[in-house]
Amino acid sequence: MSQPLKLRVIGRSEVLPRPVLELAAADLPFDIEFELIDSVKGLQRVVSSPDTFDVYHQWHTVDLIWTARAIQAIDLSRIDHADLIRGQAYERQGDARAMGSVFNQLFLQPSGALGSTPTGRIVMLPLLHGVDAFAYLPSVLKEFGNGTPNSWGWLLDPRLAGRVAIMSDPVLGMIEAALAVEASEDIRFAEVGNLTVEEIDTVVDILLRKKKLGHFKTIWSNYLECARSMQRGVVLQSMFSPALAMLRSQGVPVIAAVPREGYRGWHVDLCISSAATGERLDAAYAYLNWWMNGKGGAVTTRQGYYFAQPELVRPHLSAAEWDYWYAGKPAEAVLTDPLGQPMVALGEVREGGSYFERMSRVRVWNAFMDEHTYLVRRWREFLEA
Amino acid sequence: MARAPTGGSKPYYQIVREVLSANVAAGNLPVGTRLLTTAVADRLGVSRPPVKRALELLEADGVITALSSQGYVVGDAAAGTSPERTNLHRLELDLPLELGDNLGQASWERIFEAVEAEILNCIPFGTFQISESLIGEHFDVSRTVVRDVLSRLDARGLIVKDRSSHWIAGPLSARMLDDAHEIRRLIEPGALASAMPMLSAGFLRDSRAAVTEALERSTALSVGEVDAMEQALHVEALEPLRNRRLAGAVRLQQVSLVINRLFATYIGLHDESDMLREHALILDHMLLGDAEGATVAMRHHLDADHARSRARLKVLSVFDAAEIAPYLVRIH
Repeated sequence: MSQPLKLRVIGRSEVLPRPVLELAAADLPFDIEFELIDSVKGLQRVVSSPDTFDVYHQWHTVDLIWTARAIQAIDLSRIDHADLIRGQAYERQGDARAMGSVFNQLFLQPSGALGSTPTGRIVMLPLLHGVDAFAYLPSVLKEFGNGTPNSWGWLLDPRLAGRVAIMSDPVLGMIEAALAVEASEDIRFAEVGNLTVEEIDTVVDILLRKKKLGHFKTIWSNYLECARSMQRGVVLQSMFSPALAMLRSQGVPVIAAVPREGYRGWHVDLCISSAATGERLDAAYAYLNWWMNGKGGAVTTRQGYYFAQPELVRPHLSAAEWDYWYAGKPAEAVLTDPLGQPMVALGEVREGGSYFERMSRVRVWNAFMDEHTYLVRRWREFLEA
Repeated sequence: MARAPTGGSKPYYQIVREVLSANVAAGNLPVGTRLLTTAVADRLGVSRPPVKRALELLEADGVITALSSQGYVVGDAAAGTSPERTNLHRLELDLPLELGDNLGQASWERIFEAVEAEILNCIPFGTFQISESLIGEHFDVSRTVVRDVLSRLDARGLIVKDRSSHWIAGPLSARMLDDAHEIRRLIEPGALASAMPMLSAGFLRDSRAAVTEALERSTALSVGEVDAMEQALHVEALEPLRNRRLAGAVRLQQVSLVINRLFATYIGLHDESDMLREHALILDHMLLGDAEGATVAMRHHLDADHARSRARLKVLSVFDAAEIAPYLVRIH
């Protein structure tokens, strides 16, 4: 009498490369419908219509979707390897930098608020994280000189006018622009991840002036556009690591910056819809636990993402892969991207070093700022200028 | 500002048109009566533009006929003799309360609340440009009245003029909520304490009973029920205040009421038990005649509500406004 169950999953295209979709579909006993939405439309859907999805791969919006009660608390006793999550939470308590953003609002407290004190219920299952910065072609070093420490200020440097690109996402774009403004104007914002109205004005006014001067060659909105812009004359730009993987497997010698001001950190996690019940809820838990087997995380490792519990992906990686991606050692073999294309050459070392070195250099985490409405208004002004 | 938008109500010229049409049908305005815009506006106690438009429509309806000289005449001009110059104030007309209400009210007051409510309903979602001419058309009022309304909204801090002299509203920032809250927590608890001696025991008992009932109920509250409770505590309870300037000052800072209502509309209602318990605490102090306690409890409620509305504003910032008034145009 009932229709066969189909689990509905929403996420961004970067987080769900094709091999992940195929592996999950093959392993799980029910159908999965993946909807890849790269714009704010995904978030709008999640917040206003929880009945239209079962699982959401959230990024930097968990407080907001919890306020809207679009998601339900996840019972840790139903999650495989939950002891690892609890263990991490205890270890990282009070650690505001590495992974701080993941654990600060993870556990549902008895008061109904979100907090870092471990309890039996979490609002999202920590999944993937990493650091982002800009990337550039070797020709850029002719302007700045080899060995000059990389700086976010390069994004606004007049020497590169007309050959720079930035991303269109208002949340991430504003954070990167703020880091660039700090570096190039020698000012310091109190909290780059939560700018005030005046600070937003400062950043956007500079961006507008630069845009009118023709500083930006293009503005990209997903990793495919990002990769394309570098094939078309951009020499320095915001970068997502899947685009980096793609460009390198095509032989473009792109260099990922290690900015002296620090990285922009991000994390993507799994949330269950507040509307999921019965067998839908069971399927949602099964999907979450499928991720906890580490296979999906091994795929995304090959595009540069770290898994929340690295020890779970290790058995699914070759020793050479583990050493390159997590240990920061020179590649002992040619390594491939998620689609199996050669991407890392023999002997190459990952920019920024090991997992620990890279994650400990996070300056700011992606965050939905308190002044988001104001930010979006000014950001649109910049995009439309 | 606490009132729902009046976007659904009839335009003013329609009310005038229907009133005149009904009075002609009932014989209160006999065939042959001459109707001049100024005289009709004066008799009905409204401004001229809606009357002018209503008379044009009534002519199209065939209820009245345009005169070659000036004005109109009830019925068919050709059929009757020369139109009678009647003092309209001597005629017994059936006038609806909507019109009666406005006697003695300045023209801007009639539409101020509607415009204010519609602007507040939009600005959590972005930035909007306001068209003076479209407000005039929408409400059937003159430019003078529109400018009056806008300058008052300007003084209220809701709208500003941009460099090219356009009126701009929004966006509603978290900063605006913070600023309003900072003032509100200083004055609203005191205002409530001042109003307390004038509030009837019945009002307090009814309000408290509504909270008890809501807390004990297993089903979710409706948007209207939550709104009614907030309205009772934050608006109706201050009505007996003799100091109208204080009441007005409090009202100006109650922006979060709008945020909470929009959140309920766009996202839906959730567990409101914190809000209910805060109300219960305030009302219990008031029932005991403890003004000091009510003041402290109200301040706690305002602080907790501020935290909730800030979080809710963040959720609303993801959306574009679904319904905007015809005289507002989204710009960013």
